[in-house]
Amino acid sequence: MESGTHQFEPHVSEVQLRISGTGLPELFEEAGYALAELMLGEAPLPQPSPESAVVRVALVAADTEALLVDWLNELIARSDLTKRVYTDLVVDELQERSLRAHIRGVSPPVLKTAVKAATFHGLELHEHDDGFTATVVLDV
Amino acid sequence: METLPEVPQQLEPLIRQIGPALYELGQGFREDMRVPARIVADSELLQQMVQDRSVPQLVNVTTLPGIQGFAIGMPDMHEGYGFPVGGVAGTALPDGVISPGGIGFDINCGVRLLATGLRHEDVKEVLPEVAHDLARSIPTGFGRHGRLSLAPEQMDRVLTEGVPYLVDVLGLGTPEDVDYLEARGCLDGADTAKVSVRAQGRGHDQLGTLGGGNHFLEVQRVERVLDSEAAPALGLFEGQLTVLIHTGSRGLGHQVCTDAVRTMDRALAREGIRLVDRQLACAPLSSAEGQDYFAAMCAAANFAWANRQVLTHRVREVFRRWFGDRSAAWPRIVYDVAHNIAKLEPHGGQRLCVHRKGATRAFGPGHPELPAAYHQVGQPVFIPGSMGTASFVLVGTEAAEAISLSSACHGAGRRLSRAASKRQVVGSELRAALNRQGIAVECPSNAELAEEAPLAYKDVDRVVDVVEAAGIARKVARLVPLAVLKG
Repeated sequence: MESGTHQFEPHVSEVQLRISGTGLPELFEEAGYALAELMLGEAPLPQPSPESAVVRVALVAADTEALLVDWLNELIARSDLTKRVYTDLVVDELQERSLRAHIRGVSPPVLKTAVKAATFHGLELHEHDDGFTATVVLDV
Repeated sequence: METLPEVPQQLEPLIRQIGPALYELGQGFREDMRVPARIVADSELLQQMVQDRSVPQLVNVTTLPGIQGFAIGMPDMHEGYGFPVGGVAGTALPDGVISPGGIGFDINCGVRLLATGLRHEDVKEVLPEVAHDLARSIPTGFGRHGRLSLAPEQMDRVLTEGVPYLVDVLGLGTPEDVDYLEARGCLDGADTAKVSVRAQGRGHDQLGTLGGGNHFLEVQRVERVLDSEAAPALGLFEGQLTVLIHTGSRGLGHQVCTDAVRTMDRALAREGIRLVDRQLACAPLSSAEGQDYFAAMCAAANFAWANRQVLTHRVREVFRRWFGDRSAAWPRIVYDVAHNIAKLEPHGGQRLCVHRKGATRAFGPGHPELPAAYHQVGQPVFIPGSMGTASFVLVGTEAAEAISLSSACHGAGRRLSRAASKRQVVGSELRAALNRQGIAVECPSNAELAEEAPLAYKDVDRVVDVVEAAGIARKVARLVPLAVLKG
């Protein structure tokens, strides 16, 4: 069984992302992979070279839903700053309102989709028998 | 047209017509509405709107603390996040709220029209090469570095002084340029201390970049003058070569909004504000969070005007290379309008914080903020269509103040999602079809081209007819594309 899956759902002007994970760390990682797929317009995602730098990320948010939005916005901002897309994501620790992760990225010559931000609009995060699902709208 | 989940089809019978091309959903529709929701539309556009979630989003806007009169959707209204795209609302000062979600991540995304004295007929042979030169000279796409990288002290001055700094100190334009920009290209109240280090970092090399998504630069021809008095006042004539620039505040603005939504989301409980959509996160304008965001938003707005000014400079360099120094070749600014912004404006005897998200200010004749040359005709309003269709120049009306808080729409408005558009359009075929129409296309990605295909948008002629029928702006000229540059 895959630890995470995602799909892009219809939205007239933006991109609505639906993510599933066997656990919350897996869901957060999957959300990041979906973001990278959207930015690059390709799957499977290119892997960073072994010597690419590892970046440590630590976030604290108001609740787990906000943490998911913050996580995606962290990846978006870092992509904009470094011109890299993060395709290797490991969530090391995830609690209700905090996250620690390490990430590595690739430098694509062009980006397929410019993602401005992750939004709170229609944000949902649910636990069920098989794990977790979430819905996030991305401004593109 | 695709069908989206949770389609609120039941809304349509509850919406009643209250004026020419003006509809209202009364406060009785939902208990938490503080004011009615109004929509500028005809029956066909209204039917398109209820296919997505834009009307419920407009209803959500009516619940904002301090909202006055009504929330109103423009004829291009479509589903967004927080506010619908094409949503306008005014909140009363001092304690009405300001909502970053009512402005959007691309703060002061806007449109600038340049007009030359050149006739298309005289230069059409070289236009494909001019378009190619523009594509080489103007960075496009997400996060592409501009050639103008700002030192920290320069960034500080761009954020606080906007276009006048670029013109007066860096020589990127003429003093006359400033007269033809909304707010003269600079909002007072910007405070760089309220713009995060990360936001400034994202912006430091993005001045003079177009960006991706629906941003574009288009070379156009004035196909038809529709108002023989207003067009000469704006310096427009049939056959004229024009350039339309659509972009905003790039990563800097995106980060300002991201930071503010996060901060305000955390302050909601303290302010006793309950929201139906967390993306409407807001704070009283009088609060520390409200003041801080307003100062940062003003700075981001100044950055966006500066961005369009640098792009104007690049266009002028290209035109000088191809057409020389003669005055007819000089792309003069007709006007520059924001369409994602909050402005403090007097309306109906009150001072309001007017949120326009995907909507354009449309002041009527005689308004003191207009340049002297436009006092008799009103503020220019630009409504771009899609690639391959047309764009319109209009002017605002005095009546717009009461009808729409002096606002008009900002484009044709999407009717299909990007995915749906790609399913129906093959990018390479669209590129070939546009070329056959005589439109040069400078866009590296066929997929992205397909996402912005004409069929993804509402009929711009219909949208503009509705704007005029509602009395919020009147048509001046119809422009058709000759070359399109996309990120």
